[in-house]
Amino acid sequence: MNKVLLMGQANVGKSVLFNHLAGAAATVSNYPGTTVDFDKGHMMIEGERVEVVDVPGAFSLDPKDRAEEVAVRMLEEEKGATVVCVIDSSKVERGLYLALELIEKGYPVMIDLNMADVAKDVNIKVDTKRLEDILGVPVVTTVATRGEGLKELVSRMKEAKPVETGKIIEKVEAS
Amino acid sequence: MERALTVDQRWDLVDRIAKETVEVGAYKPTLKDALAGITVNPWTGIPFAIAVLYGFWTFFGEFAGLFTDGFFVRIFGTHWIPFLGEKLAGLPDWAFTILVGDKAVFAEGFVGDPCFAAGGVLTTGLFMPFGIVLWAVLALFFVLAILEDTGYLPRLAVLIDTVMHKIGLHGFAIVPTLISLGCNVPGVTAARTLETRKQRFIMIALLGVFVPCGAQIGMMEELVPGMIGWVFLTLAIGYFVFGWVLNKIWPGESPEILMDVPPYRAPQWSNILRKTWMRTRHFLFVAVPFVLLGCAIVMVLYATGAMDAIASGLEGLLASVFGVPASATPSLMVGFLRKDLAIGLLPIGAMTNYQVFKSVILLSIYFPCLATFALLLRELNWKEILATLGFLVAMVFVFGGVLNLIGMAGGW
Amino acid sequence: MMNNRSTSGSIFAVIIGIAAIGFGILEFVGGEWGPLTVEAGTFTAWRAVILICAGLIYLSSVSNFMDIRQLAKSVVASIMIWIVAAMDIWAMIAASIPSGAEEAGEPWFASGTEFLAAYGPPYMPAIYLLIPSLVILYFVGKRRLAK
Repeated sequence: MNKVLLMGQANVGKSVLFNHLAGAAATVSNYPGTTVDFDKGHMMIEGERVEVVDVPGAFSLDPKDRAEEVAVRMLEEEKGATVVCVIDSSKVERGLYLALELIEKGYPVMIDLNMADVAKDVNIKVDTKRLEDILGVPVVTTVATRGEGLKELVSRMKEAKPVETGKIIEKVEAS
Repeated sequence: MERALTVDQRWDLVDRIAKETVEVGAYKPTLKDALAGITVNPWTGIPFAIAVLYGFWTFFGEFAGLFTDGFFVRIFGTHWIPFLGEKLAGLPDWAFTILVGDKAVFAEGFVGDPCFAAGGVLTTGLFMPFGIVLWAVLALFFVLAILEDTGYLPRLAVLIDTVMHKIGLHGFAIVPTLISLGCNVPGVTAARTLETRKQRFIMIALLGVFVPCGAQIGMMEELVPGMIGWVFLTLAIGYFVFGWVLNKIWPGESPEILMDVPPYRAPQWSNILRKTWMRTRHFLFVAVPFVLLGCAIVMVLYATGAMDAIASGLEGLLASVFGVPASATPSLMVGFLRKDLAIGLLPIGAMTNYQVFKSVILLSIYFPCLATFALLLRELNWKEILATLGFLVAMVFVFGGVLNLIGMAGGW
Repeated sequence: MMNNRSTSGSIFAVIIGIAAIGFGILEFVGGEWGPLTVEAGTFTAWRAVILICAGLIYLSSVSNFMDIRQLAKSVVASIMIWIVAAMDIWAMIAASIPSGAEEAGEPWFASGTEFLAAYGPPYMPAIYLLIPSLVILYFVGKRRLAK
């Protein structure tokens, strides 16, 4: 693993996460679309230097605006990268759509259910164990603004691996 | 092997996974949700928006005033400029003129503000960015950061959505517009979140032509405070009227899109301060060299006498079309480098109030600063760049001409 | 029962609502009345509009005051008053720091007594509304405890 892309919808906290991971100072705001270009930084995982890229928010891999175009282009240029799909825990469905697209494209994916505090406020619970079981990729919970869960996120990045979509469908149908 | 699903299949799969893993508990609306509703309901939201914008503007005005009028006018006017005048008096005339400026400022019985009257690179050239503009942009960036981080900006977008649709833009266009009030550069970049090429083009053209940046606003606040309301009103009329026109004539679509409004959040002060600092630092790196260069160019033109030649050459055009005296030439010439510098160079004492007003409007409209222009080259294609330039030339003549006619009719 | 819980809040909303409208009208009129002053400025009319609207929003939250949507209206009205008052106070702070002198040798900063004098009366209307408007925090806290 030498490169990690942070992907997800707009305003799920990718840049906050990025700033924590890469010790960087990307601009962070509370409205969708703050990051319209990518930012790059580095972090150390078990003594290994890994590049982290903060990709602009994308709803899907079917680009609708310039920021999404940048996101999709980034992804195509970085075929071997590990993708951390950042999801707003209070809107899991929307994030899962992008996660599935990424899995279908064959990227090693891991899922970060961010904004867990917001989900708690609106009384939404996500069964991360079950989600991990179905998708077959690591799933962690974070509150990036407060720095919670980042250690687990980083330590499990190396477990990210490509998964066959068929396997996921089988799992869902088996239950 | 890649195995592609259709969009429907994928959503179906998402639904089934979500059903397995997501548990939505009974949900009682919180105070935050209720606040979110009230601030986008026009009856309560518009008065609240007025209060927010009032706070935005007053904070900015008082902050800039505290530093500029409270301290920096005196630091430069009473200490720095006379000090330089004395220390560098031995320099050859041309060097003195470029570095320090007009000798008349140091003569007995000089009346006026040496901060602006001197005009040299080390006097006025330093006073404008560090004495005035720095404090203005610092305050604007700070307030903008608070609006961004609390999540209020997208609510403002919802409120203004209906009006914005009339000019082919989405309510979200208010975000690049407000950000441009700090600096046009991040404002133009923020326009990337708009959906279609057409919307981006309209947005960028309007930002470049009608939205003054923090540096300009700071200079206006210092030099023509009583006029700012009228300048903003005129520019806002231009923004909406010509946004509407561009939307009618430029091909392409401007579809409705759903806006994702984030929940309100308590801002993190560390993030706000960091963001304010980063943007201010970026501003200093971009602006200061151009202001110094602009001062140098103007003073070289003065020292060689070229300025007089150019001014008399332009006199006819300026007087007949815009009704502005030839002494405004230097200001208009450096306007393309930096607008704040251009406003600082306006010969305010030598013009009527109405001429000052017209000049400020023309300067706002007529060319985006170099940094913004460089960004336009990157964001737009050639056709759009030419259209933007054509648009701004047209706007200069429309606004200059119409304001001149109004002035003649009103006898100003 | 719902109404019983709301009674004290409703009384609060009526009183501060009428007070805000009254002060808003004074902002329009302008002048000085003992310790109360309205300094004319570019934004006097806007301040008046904001205070009057805040008053109307308070009044619209009177019935069933403790209902979350009604309470939130009063919170919004209070924030509007806080913004205006905060800016009035900010203007006092900004005016209190520099000495205002321009000649070399004169002090840069206001003296201690000048500094303190800047915070004495008369005050602007919103500053008088600030303290009663803070009562809204009591109702917000009360509702949170009730949950």
